[in-house]
Amino acid sequence: MNLTRLALRNIAGNSFRSWVVILCAMLVAGLALATTLVIRGAENSLNLAINRLGADIIVVPEGSETKVEGALLMSTPANVWMPDSVVAKIANVPGVGVVSPQLYLSSMENSPCCSVSNMFLVAYDPTTDFTVEPWLKQKIGSGLNLGESVGGTYVFVPEGEQAIKLYGYYLTLKANIEPTGTGLDQSLFMTFDTASDMARISKTMAVESLIIPENSISAALVRVSPGVNIHDVAVEIFREVPGVLPIESLNMFQAYRQQMNGLLRSNLIILTITWALSVLLIGLVFSMAANERRRELGVLRAMGATRVFVLRSLLMEAGILAVGGGGIGLILTGLVILLFRNLIVQSLGLPFLLPSIPSLITQAAGGLGLAILSVTLAALIPAYRISHTEPAVAMRE
Amino acid sequence: MKYIGILIIVLALVIGILPQFTDCQSQGRAITTADGKTVPMKCHWTAVAELILAVPLAAIGGMLFFSKRRETRLALSGLGALIGVFVVLIPTTLIGVCASNMMLCNNLMMPTLVLTGILVVAAGLVNGFLAYRSNETMA
Amino acid sequence: MIQLDNIHRTYILNKDSVVEAVKGVNLIIENGDYIIITGRSGSGKTTLLNLTAGLTRPTSGRVILDGVDLWTLSDRQQSRLRSQKLGFIFQFPSLLPTLNVLENVVLPVIFNDKSDRMAAFERANELLKLVGLESKKDSYPRQLSAGQQQRVVISRALMNQPEILLADEPTSDLDERTEHEIVELISKIHCEKGITIVMVTHTTKLASYGTKAIEMVEGMIKNSSV
Repeated sequence: MNLTRLALRNIAGNSFRSWVVILCAMLVAGLALATTLVIRGAENSLNLAINRLGADIIVVPEGSETKVEGALLMSTPANVWMPDSVVAKIANVPGVGVVSPQLYLSSMENSPCCSVSNMFLVAYDPTTDFTVEPWLKQKIGSGLNLGESVGGTYVFVPEGEQAIKLYGYYLTLKANIEPTGTGLDQSLFMTFDTASDMARISKTMAVESLIIPENSISAALVRVSPGVNIHDVAVEIFREVPGVLPIESLNMFQAYRQQMNGLLRSNLIILTITWALSVLLIGLVFSMAANERRRELGVLRAMGATRVFVLRSLLMEAGILAVGGGGIGLILTGLVILLFRNLIVQSLGLPFLLPSIPSLITQAAGGLGLAILSVTLAALIPAYRISHTEPAVAMRE
Repeated sequence: MKYIGILIIVLALVIGILPQFTDCQSQGRAITTADGKTVPMKCHWTAVAELILAVPLAAIGGMLFFSKRRETRLALSGLGALIGVFVVLIPTTLIGVCASNMMLCNNLMMPTLVLTGILVVAAGLVNGFLAYRSNETMA
Repeated sequence: MIQLDNIHRTYILNKDSVVEAVKGVNLIIENGDYIIITGRSGSGKTTLLNLTAGLTRPTSGRVILDGVDLWTLSDRQQSRLRSQKLGFIFQFPSLLPTLNVLENVVLPVIFNDKSDRMAAFERANELLKLVGLESKKDSYPRQLSAGQQQRVVISRALMNQPEILLADEPTSDLDERTEHEIVELISKIHCEKGITIVMVTHTTKLASYGTKAIEMVEGMIKNSSV
């Protein structure tokens, strides 16, 4: 017979009250974890997407910033064009190291080729590209040849097939890039030559032709020369090349960042309200429990329990309920976010990537810590009061 | 322990009903074969299988609510947990759903079935543990 | 030995209402005494018992237990003293409902740092045998009659081998036959173990069980007889 056993018996003996405290702890821990997971997940995704692009500046047609960001982050179709002559103009801007043009195309809806119905096609120039080709050479030892492609994590060759069929054209899938939680996971990368070949074949072999406007590109990725200020180069590009908008990678996805901040703010408000209400409710529950059990606690004091013992006994009950409830809340939240990740991404309109295990453990520990703190804090006042009541007064009817 | 029976009934209702409204058939989608016939996609068969599982699961929940004998409750809990395992396996391994993550069967039906299946297994295990520990017939 | 030295206990209910529950009581309880305190409801007998045990602080006066003024001790020291020297039998059902009979009897052991916890369950079984309830050790308080519960309380009170047993109207909720059984049991414990007993009761006929009888009237000792 010891303090822990006594606490466990008391918890089991008052199941309704115990469940109220457990539910409050579940809510607090679960909401805290959900908030950090979604916001951090979105932040990680955005940063990964920027890293994956590999560019210091991305130059897009003026007015198309939102479309391009939407395509990169959420794989929403973006048909944006600018003349390919801007590439040479950008290359002449002082401070520009490398310029690599890209074409953004989209696949037909419900393509059987992939685990996604809407795919974002990115065609690049292998001679100037500084992201896909180097990565490919590292991964498979060579770049892409005609008819070959690299896919995002959700792209795969359909069962029973040898290649991906798009617009009547067969594409070999050479490799898949690591998940980013963004639209890049639903992207297919190919060279300009392959894209042109596909467009040509599609005229006769596809239900719908792939149209690539002549002498056009969708974006130009820029890497500045070493030691050069990125912002200065961006300003120069804006000044010297008309009709384009240079976006510094650090400033990319501003609309989404604002959305994230808005989401964070509302989540924090909800979390704060939930926390406050939970603390009040738990305080009430423990007040009721302490009052109902005051005779019992008076008897314990008479038998030789110190004030500290009575206080510890009640706080031990609170702690056990907090850990139990918090633990359940964390597991359920983790499960829900893991299972419903795609639905969350679509509903929020924000990319989202699950964190690494160490990061997940840290966030979960934070949620559990908050639950334990809340419950213990709420139980502290009634526990202190009853522990400092004279035994004779406590036992009085 | 009675309340676990009610929980299992509620979960069984979700398992049986939700897939009927979230498979591709209910969204007006089907596979058209070369000869022009339409056949249901595998998410439809998952929905049918889950409905078949939901019925005995609901019955188990009801029996748990009324049952007093320790041995009966143990057996029902074990059976419930086993059904829960199949609720999870059907959309993930045994039959499956559509691969595209834009489809409702993939991003809503399957995760819901996996979650409810896990909850059924947990409920069965907890109830079984409580029944095992009890040394008296419930009043 | 317990000495109550000019003890007063006053309760202030509100600014217009002051109750002097115990007024200037002097009492010496010798080792081996069996004192019965009688009196009407509100005479201050329960308050006197609580003061004796250190369960309530006197407004003035001293409570000296084995030469030590109780109220010069810290809470920890007082609690330790209570766990080692005192045993309690209360008027109300005082068993913890979430513990079974054996666990209730063993409970005082966790407050007595001198006791051997390993031997505790063995001792508890012996005590239950003493009161005739060893077959009920796995039962819960709700499964016992009032008389059976009081017998378990007596076992619990003896768990730490106290020098003094304090009983506050232990038979008030019991029928006459059960009351007789409980009082006989307490007397038997006094005879066999030589424990000092202080029992409060409003039933004057029980006064004959003790070696000393004290009558409380309006917070003061009116009569004291051997």
